[in-house]
Amino acid sequence: MRSLVLLPEAVVVAGAVGLLFLGRPGVMRRGRRRYLPVAATLVALAAFGIELWVGAVLSTFFGGALVQDRFALFAKAAALLAAAAAIAVTDWSAEESQSVGLAMPLLAAFGVMVAASSGDVVGLWAGLELAGAAAVVVVATRRPDLGIRLLVTGAVGTALLLSGLAYVYATIGTADLVGLRQSLKVEAPTLPLALPVLLLFGGLAVRAGWAPYQFARVPVALGASPLGTGVMVGLVAMAALVVGIKVTAVLSFRPELFVSGLAVVAAVAMVAGGAAALAARTPRARLVYLAVGQAGWLAAGLATDYRAGLGATLFLLGAFGIAATAGPAALGGVEGGESGLAGMGSLRPARAAALVIAALSLAGAPPLAGFFGEFAVAASLAQSGQFALLALGLLGAVLSQAAALGTVRAVYFQSLPDETRRGAIPAWARFSSAGAVGLCIVIVAYGVFASPIMGLADQGAKALGLR
Amino acid sequence: MILSLAAIAQATPSPASVPGANVFTSPLLLSLVIWVPVVVGVAVATMPNPRGRYDVLMKQIAFFTNLGLLFVLWIAYNQFATFLPTMQFEEKVTWLPAIGAVYHLGVDGTGMTMLILSGLVGLASVLASWGVRERVRSYFCLLLLTQACVNGAIVAHDMFVLLLFWGASVIPIALLVLGWGGARRESAVWRLVGYWGLGTGSLLVATMIVYAASGSTSFDMDVLLKAGLAPRVQLAVAAALIVAAATRLPLFPFHGWARDVYADAPPGVALIVAGSASRLGAYLLVRALIAADPDASRLLSPILAGLAVLTMVFAALAAVRAVDLRAAGGYLAMVPGGLTVFGLAALTPLSIAGSILSLFSGGLAAALIVGGCATLSERAQTRSVQLLRGLAPRMPVLSWLLVIAALGLIGVPLLASYPAEAMIFFGSFRSQPAGSFAVALALVLVAAVVAVVLHRILLGSPNPDAPAVSDASLGEAWYLGLLAGALLWVGLFPGGPKLPGTEQVVFDPGLLNVMSAGLTDIASAYAGPNPASSP
Repeated sequence: MRSLVLLPEAVVVAGAVGLLFLGRPGVMRRGRRRYLPVAATLVALAAFGIELWVGAVLSTFFGGALVQDRFALFAKAAALLAAAAAIAVTDWSAEESQSVGLAMPLLAAFGVMVAASSGDVVGLWAGLELAGAAAVVVVATRRPDLGIRLLVTGAVGTALLLSGLAYVYATIGTADLVGLRQSLKVEAPTLPLALPVLLLFGGLAVRAGWAPYQFARVPVALGASPLGTGVMVGLVAMAALVVGIKVTAVLSFRPELFVSGLAVVAAVAMVAGGAAALAARTPRARLVYLAVGQAGWLAAGLATDYRAGLGATLFLLGAFGIAATAGPAALGGVEGGESGLAGMGSLRPARAAALVIAALSLAGAPPLAGFFGEFAVAASLAQSGQFALLALGLLGAVLSQAAALGTVRAVYFQSLPDETRRGAIPAWARFSSAGAVGLCIVIVAYGVFASPIMGLADQGAKALGLR
Repeated sequence: MILSLAAIAQATPSPASVPGANVFTSPLLLSLVIWVPVVVGVAVATMPNPRGRYDVLMKQIAFFTNLGLLFVLWIAYNQFATFLPTMQFEEKVTWLPAIGAVYHLGVDGTGMTMLILSGLVGLASVLASWGVRERVRSYFCLLLLTQACVNGAIVAHDMFVLLLFWGASVIPIALLVLGWGGARRESAVWRLVGYWGLGTGSLLVATMIVYAASGSTSFDMDVLLKAGLAPRVQLAVAAALIVAAATRLPLFPFHGWARDVYADAPPGVALIVAGSASRLGAYLLVRALIAADPDASRLLSPILAGLAVLTMVFAALAAVRAVDLRAAGGYLAMVPGGLTVFGLAALTPLSIAGSILSLFSGGLAAALIVGGCATLSERAQTRSVQLLRGLAPRMPVLSWLLVIAALGLIGVPLLASYPAEAMIFFGSFRSQPAGSFAVALALVLVAAVVAVVLHRILLGSPNPDAPAVSDASLGEAWYLGLLAGALLWVGLFPGGPKLPGTEQVVFDPGLLNVMSAGLTDIASAYAGPNPASSP
């Protein structure tokens, strides 16, 4: 069984490479290419199933560089489900390149998987870069200029992250996460240690899109293809947050190095994300800002610095990843302001439901997955006595929910488009409609049947060796 | 008066055996009242309805679902063990052990009273919505979801479950107002979301404070509300609960949403908000403050009483100044909430019992006045109080129903609000003499305002410049009649109708009897003298 533990990674990479090849012009007949999204979704779901089947086997590979534990199991499964959902709901008529669009979410998910099972800082960095690179490629297929912009922004994040990691390595003398953690147990919280931690979290903030660092990513998200936005806002942020959770676990003996700073970032992200979502006038911008707000809740969960808090963060990470990756993809080719959504509720009911449910989940509206995750984080904040952060989070949640209602209104209550405008909402392939229904079911079921998922998330936090 | 007071005094002193009781039992009775509307709502939302062909069918489905729910609730009401102090129809399933959330449902007498109110108002709101023609499928789906949320919040016995339904109720109501409301629906919705969001946030903060301070790992009310807390923590929790309740009920100065929502929501939605969704505020005070935290309740009771009096006075003055009939009705619908909260603030067993009865009667009266004003405005084709004159001869049915609504608000004998008011006044006079006097004056003011408004629109010579009017349709008469009938029934038989010459109750065990189950638990802390005033 141990030999099968890395099978999901192999399936995902092989699937991505195969899709890149098969999607090239001339390799397959045009008629058969329409089955490629089904194949890509099946690849992601197969990897997801294998991960759940064999991922519970605790093991290490490559001399401890890769570690398979419950944390890795949870994060990898969440990333695979998010990628499968995004591919399934994507409106391929709105994507520039089907082969790139199919392969890159899988590679981004692979990046999250590498980071999740990494046993040292090099693996964390590599996973994050892989996810970021996949996002750059998928964004650049529509807008090369935005791809370069994302590359530069990512490079800034990477520079900060690498500087921090290198500085930590130089100070402590090891790159192994367990070794780092043990060393920090006896290391005094000095300025030379605080500085790299600050740099490290700065780099993660850029990658995860925590306010106020989201401003570099939002213009890119607005100009990219729907799936490109989803990969960047969802899977790349997931990779950064997985790294954040692992780094937080490493630093758990020295909370004074990061808790205050992370709490400030979380507060700004939650409130600013909600307020910006309320002020946004396009559905895609609104989704992106809602994701920023929920990423703030994830940062707040990290700031609790104890096991229940990280367990709640991990649970919310799954909810966030699915909604933030698949939500923009569900938006499809609808461009412009909210008027572009008019009539979607009656003309494309499955797609409308997927969009609305993703937006409401990102806003933390009950009874969807986001609400359960945010509530769990709120309970952890209360237990760690951070009531000011909790209050700001609630303010952000109210703003976010008011903003999400704006999307619901546009989808369901704006007047039906006349005959000339019906074409503005492109028809979907049958598979994409089925994918949209599947997304709705996943987001609702993730919340309502949260018990086993939350239990697994808690085991994941325990696997990180937290109190 | 004598009749009603005698009825209060004659509350059946032993468990009453009602013909038909225990015929039907279900271990999932409370889950049924939550999830049946959800399932039917989702089914309605996903039914194909090309060009509105099945609009009437959707309305019928919503109607029969509500009728069925009311039937189930009637069975539960009849099977309720009236002198059992514990929760009944309990369901307890471990849900989220990682955070300590349990799917724990249960009702005591207060909860049962609220459920019956919710069932009646739900049925009335479907009838009031019969005229909806746009997006019928979505409308009735959201209406059923609203009802499920209200029922869920009533029967929740776990703070997580309560928060889930309490918070979720905002969304369908906001969407109903946004999609089918009047000209100022946007403003109404943002105010509703803002105020109710503040309330939900306050409730969450209160829950989290208790959760953290008690060191608990459970959100079960049996654990959380019985935790011993430091006085300052108790005070903080109580303040947050009062804000949560005040935004929902609403109480002055947290009433900013009420006028716009009551005036601009479609009649069926205004009805469910005024009748049952907003009563959750006072219900929360009973459950989480009065029953759980006697010390903080005693400390904050003057503030609660002050808010109650201010609410009633403000509502009366604002109603008399309103030029929009629906806005006037909306303001008047705030009055029963003030009275309910005053009874709770008085902190005596009798006043608390009166408040619980007032939850029911006030909910019906508020729904009746809001629904009556909405229907009258639609039938008169104008909402302007200045244009409406001399309607009584031309709208006799609506006029009578509006008069009953007004009488229900001020609590005249033979209506359910009368025994509630009597119990509140008798119970509060010793503990809150100044407050009782102020509330009495406020009620006089309300009576005067109601008289002025009714005189202005119903009597006198008709306005020749006003649009043509027509009387209530059958559906409108039915829904208003249902609410008025319930007010009258409980007013006439608060202890249940009895066979002549016997103590055998027939058909209805009596709301007063059902309501009293669990009351001892809630009010026992206030039965003796105030420990703070003892030497």
